[in-house]
Amino acid sequence: MARRAALIDYGKFFLLAGLTVWLLTLGTHGLGYHWQWYRIPRFLFTTESGVWTAGPLLLGLLVTLEISALALVCTLILGLTAALFRLSASFTARTLARGYLELIRNTPLLIQIFLIYFVIAPILEIGAFASAVLALSLFEGAYAAEILRAGIISLHRGQWEAAHSLGLGLFDTYRDVILPQAVRRVLPPLAGQGISLIKDSSLVSTIAIYDLTMQGQKIVAETFLAFEVWFTVAAIYLVLTFGLSFAVRVLERRMNGIPLRGAGGIA
Amino acid sequence: MSADERIIETKEITKIFPGGVVALDRFSLAVRRGEVVVVIGPSGSGKSTFLRCLNGLEEIDGGSVVIDGIPLDHRRKNRLLIREEVGMVFQSFNLFPHMTVRENIDLAQIRVRKKTRADAEETTMALLKKVGITEKADRHPHELSGGQQQRVAIARALAMNPKVMLFDEATSALDPEMIGEVLDVMRTLAAEGMTMVVVTHEMGFAREAGDRIVFMENGRIVEEGETERFFAAPREERTRAFLGQIL
Repeated sequence: MARRAALIDYGKFFLLAGLTVWLLTLGTHGLGYHWQWYRIPRFLFTTESGVWTAGPLLLGLLVTLEISALALVCTLILGLTAALFRLSASFTARTLARGYLELIRNTPLLIQIFLIYFVIAPILEIGAFASAVLALSLFEGAYAAEILRAGIISLHRGQWEAAHSLGLGLFDTYRDVILPQAVRRVLPPLAGQGISLIKDSSLVSTIAIYDLTMQGQKIVAETFLAFEVWFTVAAIYLVLTFGLSFAVRVLERRMNGIPLRGAGGIA
Repeated sequence: MSADERIIETKEITKIFPGGVVALDRFSLAVRRGEVVVVIGPSGSGKSTFLRCLNGLEEIDGGSVVIDGIPLDHRRKNRLLIREEVGMVFQSFNLFPHMTVRENIDLAQIRVRKKTRADAEETTMALLKKVGITEKADRHPHELSGGQQQRVAIARALAMNPKVMLFDEATSALDPEMIGEVLDVMRTLAAEGMTMVVVTHEMGFAREAGDRIVFMENGRIVEEGETERFFAAPREERTRAFLGQIL
């Protein structure tokens, strides 16, 4: 019975996929679109007498990777700091964190990028690249903070009490007892935030950074290969985000040699 | 008893929970060095709250707590010192699930007592031997039975070489067949002269290992007395009724 149900399920999937492709072909036919996929590879890379040269799309990908990687590190630092501030006993720290979170989460990222690039960057004398990393880190950091905070408060109170009764200070308690467990619990949503970061990084193309999206735009403007280029760009983003989720899943599995719940919680 | 003999001294401590429930009502008790005091009483009587006030897990709303001459006041240094000198064992074990048994016991020795890992390991193995589970040193808590986990928790508290051990219903979450192995460890400790304050429902243990029994209800002491006298001839009507229910 179960096998038959699975077979029907697969059938439905292929039917749906086929329908989508058919509609897409019909649509492009209707538009009279003339596919020219053969013109795409040279935007990725060219080879001339065995010398391999990266095309604009690969150069853009490199910039996207650089910005994303730097912003990811800053996001985690910022997120952790903001989470700890929000959970702090100090009124000042809590208010600071609250203000930051509310401000960031209630304004559009694009506006934040513009504000940082056009207003704050000239004051701090930083360039477009640094502005982009700063804007992305501030934005994603706010969400990472809430994810981390959720992980921390999800731990059983007994973990804090055990650390307290052993004489561990706040720093040691966080480092050795609380954070290792909390991070492990929120790894999936945290990875989701990392994926959001990669996708959101496409917005920095608006402040004259030649990332993957900006390069795509430029090529489309020059060649009118809108369909081919945007499909290619989307596929490259997909590879990046899939790569990250895969890496996190491997990490998760390795960590899960140890259970998340167990002795520490309610017996 | 002289001031010097008292390792725990609480005077008129009051604890009021949010919502106005008075958990401790001007509660005073002194414990001698090496004494085993067993606190009994119906649930909600304030037994656990009393224990938790002794190491600062609960803030008191009035009165004073002095441990080994150190007042548990608002000075951070004093609070930290008291936490280091008072070990606690919880009903729900509260082992750190992401660490092995060995790491659980090493942690505070390294972080708080500033021992080297090798030094800590030596103490850890000796303690595991004492509680009878050396073979589980490299296992994680979830791989152990409840009784074994609680014995590890006791070893972890002992690793700090505390002057006082608090037991908060240490056997209440255990399956009946595992209670004995934990009580055995507690009996050994008592026999070695450890100062212990034990909240428990195990009257057998109370009779056998307790020097003094404190019966409390509604945040106050109803009756206290030397163990033999307490069980043989309880003075208060309420004590007799309680003992009649549970014995």
